[in-house]
Amino acid sequence: MRAYVRLELRRLARMPGLLIFAVLMPLLSYLLFTNLHGLTGQDRDVAATYTMVSMAGYGAIGALLNYASGVVVDRSIGWMRQLRLTPLSPVRVVVGKGLAAMVTAIVPVVALCVAGVLVNDVRLGPVQWLAIVPLLWFGALPFALLGLGMGYLATAQTVQPLNLLVYLGMSVVGGLWLPLDALPGWVAAVGRWLPTHAYADMSWQVAFGGSPTVTDLLTLAGWMVAFTGLAVVGFRRSVRSTASL
Amino acid sequence: MATVELDRVSYTYENASGNATGNSADGFAVRDVSLRIEPGQVVAMLGPNGAGKSTTLLLLLGMLRPRTGTVRLFGEAVTGAVNKAVAGGRIGAMPQAGGVPPRSSVRDLLEFLHAVYPRPMPVREALALADLEGLAGRTVERLSGGQQQRLRFAMAVIGRPDLLILDEPTAALDVQSRRAFWAAIREYAAHGRTVLFSTHYLEEADDNADRIVVLDRGRVIADGTAVSVKQMVGVRTVSVAASDAPHAFDRLPGVAAVTRLGGRVVLTTTDSDATVLALAAAGLLRDLEVVGAGLEEAFLTLTNTALTDAAPTLERI
Repeated sequence: MRAYVRLELRRLARMPGLLIFAVLMPLLSYLLFTNLHGLTGQDRDVAATYTMVSMAGYGAIGALLNYASGVVVDRSIGWMRQLRLTPLSPVRVVVGKGLAAMVTAIVPVVALCVAGVLVNDVRLGPVQWLAIVPLLWFGALPFALLGLGMGYLATAQTVQPLNLLVYLGMSVVGGLWLPLDALPGWVAAVGRWLPTHAYADMSWQVAFGGSPTVTDLLTLAGWMVAFTGLAVVGFRRSVRSTASL
Repeated sequence: MATVELDRVSYTYENASGNATGNSADGFAVRDVSLRIEPGQVVAMLGPNGAGKSTTLLLLLGMLRPRTGTVRLFGEAVTGAVNKAVAGGRIGAMPQAGGVPPRSSVRDLLEFLHAVYPRPMPVREALALADLEGLAGRTVERLSGGQQQRLRFAMAVIGRPDLLILDEPTAALDVQSRRAFWAAIREYAAHGRTVLFSTHYLEEADDNADRIVVLDRGRVIADGTAVSVKQMVGVRTVSVAASDAPHAFDRLPGVAAVTRLGGRVVLTTTDSDATVLALAAAGLLRDLEVVGAGLEEAFLTLTNTALTDAAPTLERI
């Protein structure tokens, strides 16, 4: 499996577009949101920290969904079938793909935290940093599974629009672009229960001196179970139908 | 212990509405195929498109589950997802197309597979065998069709499989690379390994296999050496100088195929005596020549014979 992760990372290195997209978009948005005219003083400090977390999460989720759902390409070009003809078991392949995906997620997280410190003077204690970076990184794991699930279940034609819809929809409604308080009440009511919100809220809590709430943890765990189920169903279906030599 | 054992294996593809969509009239893609391949044999599976070659190979690899019958590899039953031969790295397979992931280099892929198989050959050796030296750093997107095909071959052999399965391996190659390709496969087989390949190029089967299994509409219609396949049907070609008068040569007794070649009419026949007598009766006997047929003619006759159901089924000789 290590060999497979290594192969995947080498392939990833030849696709800088994915990471540039996953870093550049949130980074530009971050600089834009935190330098709005009229945003000054304490409001600006709060926005700098709050949006740093939002955009780091937004980038990590984007990288994971995009990369993991790329499994659809591996399927359509016969790579999954070729792998099934090797001693590497299908389970190791999917775990390897997930591990490689997690490598992509750390990049936007680090980039946004660095930008927060250097550009917007975000000041957090060492313990806070030590909590926030792993929370943003490992907390994004459910989205790797969601991406895998979509990559196994969708077709090469449907995966891109589906991906975009899920990504933007969950990010906006989950409060990554604008805080839930700024959204219409009924949107916020839905957004509160989305995995995007629970995931980002764990880090928001830490950034403003608290710690992740039980609600956040349970919500994210629930989605994690659901997305794992989705990935397993898709994976099984794909393994069954890897025919046509 | 046989390397491959198919025992009366049948398979039907089903469409969305659950109806069988096989290639033969009765809906079977593969029907009652029995095949036993001993270690060290090089076997060609020969047949036209839709004969069931790829389906048979997929059944053998455990990627399709037979409707009836059993598949054994190295004595172990293959049941759906459980394929000990594949898991143990004893199988190398080169599907008809695809299977090279974009944005990987030749070296990346071979190093990966080298790590995955239990008894692989060095990457350098696989590169040499597939004539890929100098291309190791290239990404698959920048390989020509022939180079990609050679990469796929290297990917299939790097694990030193005991059984190498190739589905129409030379379909994308020009004549010269085809020759080099077969030289590589023979070199691999020379180490006592079993090779099973499918093709519809008849001369490939004749030149490269110890044994030929002819498939037609899902059935094995002949199985033996190239010589015995030809002998079995007693196919001859009868040729005469062409006359100006048109004649329905295909109506002559025994004639399976008619071709015209440089001023001569060449008839492929299963009964050369009857054909010659009929030619004489029609006054067409000019510069007669009767010779034993090549595999191509034998093959044509076999598949034509199978078309008429009245003909006896030619199974295993």
